[in-house]
Amino acid sequence: MSFTQVARSCGRFAAALTTVRIASVAVQTQSRMLHRIAVPAIGAQLTQFFTVRNYSVRNTMEEIEHRVLKVVSAYDKVTADKESRCRWQTQSVRSYSAKPPLSLKLINERVLLVLKLYDKIDPSKLNVNSHFINDLGLDSLDHVEVIMAMEDEFGFEIPDSDAEKLLKPADIIKYVADKEDVYE
Amino acid sequence: MSTRRQAITLYRNLLRESEKLPSYNFRMYAARKIRDTFRANKVLKDFNEIDRQMASAKENLELIRRQVIIGHLYTTDKLVIEQKKTLRPSDD
Repeated sequence: MSFTQVARSCGRFAAALTTVRIASVAVQTQSRMLHRIAVPAIGAQLTQFFTVRNYSVRNTMEEIEHRVLKVVSAYDKVTADKESRCRWQTQSVRSYSAKPPLSLKLINERVLLVLKLYDKIDPSKLNVNSHFINDLGLDSLDHVEVIMAMEDEFGFEIPDSDAEKLLKPADIIKYVADKEDVYE
Repeated sequence: MSTRRQAITLYRNLLRESEKLPSYNFRMYAARKIRDTFRANKVLKDFNEIDRQMASAKENLELIRRQVIIGHLYTTDKLVIEQKKTLRPSDD
């Protein structure tokens, strides 16, 4: 709740108190006649009104103002160190945490693992500089599937114009590193 | 006249769209059918025949898109084979 919200709601509350006081006087006169018909319901209402009325009579505008300012000043301080009050906020931020940081070595391992698991690639022939189509014997349709597997692995889309240039595992590693801002 | 690039884009779109099918049977069938049909037709040399196949692939892409929406309207429980394996040994 911000400073202005607190101040505005307190002002609204003070305005409501004065109207309630007027209303409660009217209710009192009516209830004198009604109390034989519906004693419990009116009684409950009356106690409510009485507590509210006492409350408003006891507190002058200065006292209300003083209390409002006290509440507002409590909210006004920087809340970073108040762990108990804003824990839900920090938690909701934490659940949107970023991916674990990638390194070139990790990208390398992940790319090669995905390629090894692809059934048309012979793992013994595979290395970072082997050409998909010339060395590994894939066709252009297999190449599309490889690129799609990379998209799934790293979680971003590779447009067709870039995909057709990625003909070696080394190209893919370099492309992913560029996309994820990994430089080492 | 269809180009090689168009065919590859279509292949990719078909595979991507077929992954979205909610029903396991439809999804697996679509993926297999797309792969096999493209492999079978990659040797085509007749341009008219290629265009006809491309047109039918486009129709099927629309069909899959519609079927994805309809499938999401009437979803059922996942099959047992679709469940993710858990690491706890007591579960399997």
